[in-house]
This record gives sequence, structure tokens and C-alpha cells, in this order.
Amino acid sequence: MKKLTYFPGCSAHGTSEEFDSTLKLVLKTLDVELEDIPDWNCCGATSAHVMTENLAYALPMRNLVLAEKLENTTMGIACASCYQRMKVTKVHMDENPELAKRINSTVVEEGTYQGKVDVKSMLQYFYEDIGVEPIREKVKKSLAGLKVACYYGCLLTRPKNITNFDSPEYPVSMDQICEALGATATEFDYKTECCGASFSISNTEVVLNLSGQVLAMAKESGAHAIVVACPLCQSNLDMRQPDIEKQQGVKYDIPVFYITQLMALAFGHPIDQLKFPKHIVPVEGALANIGKVAPVPEKVKKPIKAVEAESEAK
Amino acid sequence: MARVGVFVCFCGANIADYVDVPQVVEEVKRIKEVKFATEYKYMCSDPGQGMIRDAIVQYKLTSIVVAACSPRMHEKTFRKALSDAGMNPYLLEVANIREHSSWVHQKNKKAATDKAMDLCRMAVAKSIANEQLHEISVPVTKRALVIGGGIAGIQAALDIADARIPVVLVERSPSIGGKMAQLDETFPTLDCAQCILTPKMVDVASHPYIELIPYSEVIELQGFVGNYKVKIRKKASYVNFKTCTGCGACWQKCPVKVPNEYNMGIDKRKAIYTPFPQAVPNKPVIDAEHCTMLLKGKCGICAKVCDKGSIDYTMQDEIIEREIGAVVVATGYDMWDPKPYEEYGVGRFKDIITSLEFERMVSANGPTNGLPLRPSDGKVPKNVVFIKCVGSRDEAKGIEYCSKICCMYTTKHTILLHHKVHGSHAYVFYMDIRAAGKGYEEFVKKAQVDTGTTYLRGRVSKIYKKGDKLMVRGEDAQIGQVVEVEADLVVLATAVSAPKDNPDLARLLGISYDKYGYLSEAHPKLRPVETAKAGIFLAGCTQAPKDIPETVSQASACAAKVCGLFAGDTMKKDPMISTINNEYCSGCQNCLNVCPYGAIVTDDVPVGHGSKDLRTVAKINEGVCQGCGSCVAICRSMAINLAGFTDPQIINEIVSI
Repeated sequence: MKKLTYFPGCSAHGTSEEFDSTLKLVLKTLDVELEDIPDWNCCGATSAHVMTENLAYALPMRNLVLAEKLENTTMGIACASCYQRMKVTKVHMDENPELAKRINSTVVEEGTYQGKVDVKSMLQYFYEDIGVEPIREKVKKSLAGLKVACYYGCLLTRPKNITNFDSPEYPVSMDQICEALGATATEFDYKTECCGASFSISNTEVVLNLSGQVLAMAKESGAHAIVVACPLCQSNLDMRQPDIEKQQGVKYDIPVFYITQLMALAFGHPIDQLKFPKHIVPVEGALANIGKVAPVPEKVKKPIKAVEAESEAK
Repeated sequence: MARVGVFVCFCGANIADYVDVPQVVEEVKRIKEVKFATEYKYMCSDPGQGMIRDAIVQYKLTSIVVAACSPRMHEKTFRKALSDAGMNPYLLEVANIREHSSWVHQKNKKAATDKAMDLCRMAVAKSIANEQLHEISVPVTKRALVIGGGIAGIQAALDIADARIPVVLVERSPSIGGKMAQLDETFPTLDCAQCILTPKMVDVASHPYIELIPYSEVIELQGFVGNYKVKIRKKASYVNFKTCTGCGACWQKCPVKVPNEYNMGIDKRKAIYTPFPQAVPNKPVIDAEHCTMLLKGKCGICAKVCDKGSIDYTMQDEIIEREIGAVVVATGYDMWDPKPYEEYGVGRFKDIITSLEFERMVSANGPTNGLPLRPSDGKVPKNVVFIKCVGSRDEAKGIEYCSKICCMYTTKHTILLHHKVHGSHAYVFYMDIRAAGKGYEEFVKKAQVDTGTTYLRGRVSKIYKKGDKLMVRGEDAQIGQVVEVEADLVVLATAVSAPKDNPDLARLLGISYDKYGYLSEAHPKLRPVETAKAGIFLAGCTQAPKDIPETVSQASACAAKVCGLFAGDTMKKDPMISTINNEYCSGCQNCLNVCPYGAIVTDDVPVGHGSKDLRTVAKINEGVCQGCGSCVAICRSMAINLAGFTDPQIINEIVSI
């Protein structure tokens, strides 16, 4: 059994409770045991880093130092924003030992920062540490027939020099995982556009506009559902969808799943454990597509002569 | 007793601002051999040189020290001043107090001054031991090598050959012509590239003074200016060019299809092919990577249909050698790969193409009969968005420099689109319009009016697909808003980049290259076509991005330099070379191994006076030795002496500080 240090972040205990609980189901199937960081604290989120640099580094630093007390070399983070703060801090501390020393001096009691724990988003952990093939092997119930638009948002792969994972503009890791589950990932050009993030509360208009564009493009791509790995993306696209529909006068009816919900579904976990009733947009319509289409047979490579004959004919 | 004169230069403010020049002069005056010392604002100017000439006569000086810029800049100038005053020019020493002191210690005047004084003391001490030396004459091979057969190489070869100097022109691909042969019309006059280029290509092939070696690569260069030896690998073409008439039966019947490089892969060529119908030489070669006969031993159709029997599947690469006196490097450029622009969907959207692909499509001899077509569905596009500076002027994703030609060719493309597709509309996203050149600004202005193109100043941030259209989102900085343009086709003006093999070629030739891979000129302003290695010159984009007129000018400049080099029957060479004292030489031959120029051979000399027994010693070939001093350092017997850098000179320098 593999072990993984886990940082749930505040949203996993609130708005994205279904992300947290399905993540645990999925990891159980994948034979990974989660170890919580003892006495973990808030990552600082948006508030800390607009206030002071020290605080923005010190809060994640404390978590990083505490994580080093566990034996695991990797920390998995559910929330994209927590991941971002933790990873930025780690990269900057590792690059600049002087800075690390200064920030560490504010969290002396917890210990000395050594930089030995790597920081990954859960998406990155699935993609790099578990791998697409082992995920495919665990699938009991293929999602074939379901078309999904994989939406990464702004934080999971950006900025590139911090995350060093997948492409900052057109990532494919979530698409590949969804394909492994049997679903079809649509060609979705808005996968890294901004959803409006925390403006959801302070300036909702912005979110209605930006998330509205994401929904429109997802629909345009032919998707039945959107898949995310970020609590804020999920809440904006799902919770604000009725308002967006009202404003645009369009009916989208696109449920927004966490990647772990679809994985748990494909791994054969009972549907009543997947917390679908927590969604604002009903999921039943989208899920009804599963099994409607026979799995596409693998493409057979045509013999060269046939290809040539075709091009001749053209 | 030595009588040394010291001349310290201000170099305008270059030295004087950071080094206390009067203090340096006072300091050197305290050395007892220094009989005269002075300062001047520009020592290299005529009055400055005059001061040196006058002082030599007036103070009966026996050696001269000039404390100024690098000897690479003005050593020759000052040596001439010595000659003019009747003094042996090699009695000069240059103390480099600019590059070695004032420029690099701008924050500490005292330290810079102290260092300048040290450098002067060393130069004075060395000059005291200087000896009179005399230039060496070496024979010259009057034949030039031109590497690369694009417009730069063609022009250089023709100009040199017209001066009745034999030229060896080596081209890597099966035909000369280069990138220019792929162009349709050329800015700012819209001459057809083929019409102005192909006659020159024919001239090259038929010129009695040009030996054209196509489908070949330079693999080794040995020797020195005036006396190089080059090894060329002639790639196996599997076609006997002597008997082949270029009739075309072979490539018509060949069953293997390969993406056509000449047309940027838009259509297919055969495995036996000439790159394009106007190719020179107009003889096919077999592409060994794709030919079924060469890969699997099956097929052989081309040999069957060739009634001259010119096909030879057993042909091997051949190494040939030529003796030459000078080299012109004209290896051109590559188009930058826009893959890093993921936000544009490069590689995902078929209807995003590069400018060179657009150029091929609108070319009269192109794969689409001169019409731009959408690669996705073959339809003629109406709305075309041109994006400039893709890779250029982009430190984050591309290259820092401006590629210089994209503003102009994009303007040309808007005109070509306007001519070819009625009712079309062009949009150009640009950062600046750089139209510096004769007739260029007028060309851009006229095109803007005639074509009605919409120019949007700003960068494109995203391209996404909506139905079968591409939505191009960018900033219009002039109205401060984000705009979206619906496009049928997007054309990326990708940057000009250095040929990826340039670093390898530079190492092979022994010349330098910059961080981008462009070959370095000897001086950015005053020696723009020479390299730091004597006898090797640069023409065209291999040195930096440039347009056709500039490339042709530079190629002609190279030709003038080559002709100048070959003007006499012999060439003067600096006398700073090694000599061997046979008395001390033990014949260990370590020096043979370290000599980078192959200038040392062995010789047999009598063991003693009048003895018949022989022993082996080393011997220097005067013509080949470049005076690098490697042999001096390795010699355990201290038998080797490097003129101008003798042991007494070096020891004097060391003792003086």
C-alpha cells in the first residue's frame, strides 16, 4: 500500500466535500493510504498574498515543515488554490535559501524547513504517480457514451515555471484520465480560461460573464458534462449556472463533476456514495448517456497502398 | 640601453572617464628606460600617430608602447606608424587599458588606474626585449569555397568567378536556389522571385570558373588563410549525373510518395526527385530514407524506365578534397517552429499555417496553383488573419530579436491575398511596422490603402475554434480593448532562426557563433563580412536575419574581400611563429601532438657536426604555424621559441609587476 501526505484545505470540509469524500473512495481502490498533516493550517489563499509576502509564505511554510515530519516524500493537495500557494512557496524557498531561512524564522517551533516533500495537485498525483494505465485497469464500469469537457482553470498548470506539470495552455492530463475511464474528452479550447474565481462573491457579474463563456464553449464542443479538479471552478460553473442561464437566456444544463466523482463511478463505487445530490445542476441527464454508444473500436492502421489509392482518388 | 616611448590614449571618454590617464603617464615616466611619455585624446587619429612618428625621430626611441584599446583593434595602425618613421613595426607593444581595464572596472577609478599602470609597466618591460621581425611571404591558392547555394552563395560565387577566380560552390540539397526559390514575389517591387533568381542559378551552373558540387557537405577544413584544404562529402545520389539527361521518366514512374519539402509538405514528391522543375542541376537524386529499392531491395522501377542506365543503387558517399584560399559561408536560415505558442492551438488547428506555407500556396508554381486554400477543407478563405512577431521579439516563448523581414513579407502577403481572392479581407495583428529600407515605407502605405487591410496593433492572446472558423482574440491597443476576429485562415509570421547546424559548422571551420547560432562577424560595424579567422567570410542570414537586397550586398562584399585577398601571388603573414633550436630538441614529438594546425613535422639531422649518424628533431612549417604557442608550453627541453613572445620578453613582463 502506497502512502500519501494529504492536505485537504478548507473547501474539502465545506463546499467541495464531495471532492474530498470521492477522492478517498478512489484512493482506496488505487490502494493509497492518506495521512493528514498533523495540525495543518490555512494556506493563506488569496487574502494572504495580497496583504503581505511574509504571511503568504509563512502559512504554507508551516504546513510544509509539518509535512516533513511524516515519512512520505509527496504531499497531495485537493484544492487548486491551496496547491498553488504551497507550490509557489516550495519553489521559491528551494530557489532562495536566504528567503527560506527568513520565512522559517517565523515558524521556528515547528522545525527547520528542508525542502524534502514534493507538492502535487491530486490531478498531478493521479497522472504522474499512479499513471493512466493503472487507472484504466481499475475501471469496472466504463463511462463510454459520456462526452466531457475537461476544464483545468487557471491554477493547476500555471505558471509553468512553478507547476512544471502538463501544458499551461492546452493541458491533456485530465482528458487522458477521462478517456481511460471510457468517456470521450471533447476538443475544448476554453480549458484554461478563467472562471472568475473568487469574484463570485465580491463581483458576481464578472463570474457570470467568464464562467458563462466557459459553459458556452463546453456546450459548443459537444460535451454532456464538465470535469474539474478545483473546488472554486466547480462552484462557479455549477452554482452560478442558473444565474448565467437566466442572464444569457440559454439553457445549458451541464453538470460539473469532480474528476474523482467520475473515477469513483467508473471504479464501481455505489452511486449513493458519490454525493451527486450536492450538485445544483442535476447530473442524471448527462449520466444517462453512459452506455448509449458502443465503445469505439481501436483504429486499424490501413495498409500503405490503400492510403495511396485514396490520395490518388482525391 | 633601450629607449622606450609610451603613448597613453584617452579614447575619448572610454578610457579617460575611468582611468586617470595623466597619473599613468607620470608613473611610466619613472621607469628609467622610458625616455618619452605623453597622452592624447585619440592616439589612433592622424595627429596621434604623428606624435608617435615625431617622438621616434626626436628621442631616438628603440621601442614603442601604446596604451589604448585592444591590439585586435589598432595594432596594425600603430605598427604602420612605426614603419612610417623608419622603425621596425614589431618593436611596438600595445597595453590594452580599455577592454582590460577602463571598460571592466567602471565602478572603481583607482583600481582601474592601478591596473592600467601595471599593464603599461608590463608592456614597457616586454618591449625592451623586443626584437626586429620581418613579415613572411606565403604562397596563395587562388580558389574560393562557397558553402551554401542560396541567393547569398550564388551571388558571392558569381562575383568571385566573374573576377576569374575559380570557385567551389557546395550545396547540401539537390539544387541551388535556397529559400528564395520558394518565394513567389519579392518586396517592395513585387518582382517574381523565380524570374530574377533562376537565370542566376543557370549562370552558376554554366560558369567556367564555378565548380558546382550539389547534394554535398563540408566535413573538414584544415590549413590557414590562403592555404586551406577542404574535405567535402558528396552524398550518394544513386544517379549518374554525367549520363542523366533529366528527362523525368524516373520520378513520374516512382511509386513512393514523400512530403514535398519545397512545398512545405503541402503536397507530395517521389522518392526519386528534383526539388522543383527549375532546379539546378536539373538532375534527380534518390532519397535513401524512403526508396523501397534501397530500403528493402524491391522495386527498381526507376532503373527500368531510365533508358540511359543512369540509376546506380550501389553508389556510395564519396569524400573529395579541394585546395582553396578563402571561404564564404552562406548557410542561410531556418524558419522558427511556432510549437511553443500553445494558446494559438498550433498543431491542433489545421487552418493555422506559417508564412512560408502561405507563400508556397500563393506561388504560381505552388501546390495549389497559386490559390490559398484552407488545409482543413480545401476551401478558399475569405477572412485571413496575419499575426506578426510569432517567435520574434518574444523573450518568453521565442527569440529576443526582430526578424527584420516579417513586416515586409506580411504586407506582401496581404497584397497577394487581395490579388488572388476577390472579396477577401486581411487582418494584421502587429507590434510595430518596421519598414526601414528603400521604398519599404511607401510599399506598406500603398498596400494598406489598396488592399483595405485592417491593421490591429496588439498581441493575439488566444485562438479557438467555433464551428469551422477560427476565433482570433487579441488586444487592440489603440482603442484599449480586447477584440475577436472570425478567421477562415490564420497565417503566422514565424521568426527567422539560425540554421540548427550552424554551431557544428562553426566548430568545423574554427569560427565563432552567437547565442542564437548565428555566425559572428569580426566587428559589428567595421568588419561585418569577415570572421575573426582570416580568410573566412559571411554572407546572408547565416550572420543575422536580413532581406534579399542586404543579402546580395553582403555577398558581393564577400566577393570583394576574396578578390582583395587573392590580389597578389603571395600573402604577407605575421612573423610571430615558432622556431626550433635543434641543439636542445630531444625529438620527443610532444609538440606534434599539441599543434592544432598540423604545422610541426619531424626532420632528421646529424647527431653532431660532420657526423653521419642522424637523430630526429621537430621542424616547424612556417607557412602553417599560427603562433599560438602551444608547442612552446609543452616543450620540456625549452627548445622552441615563439618570435614576439620569447622567454626574455615574458619574464621581463612578470618581473615588472
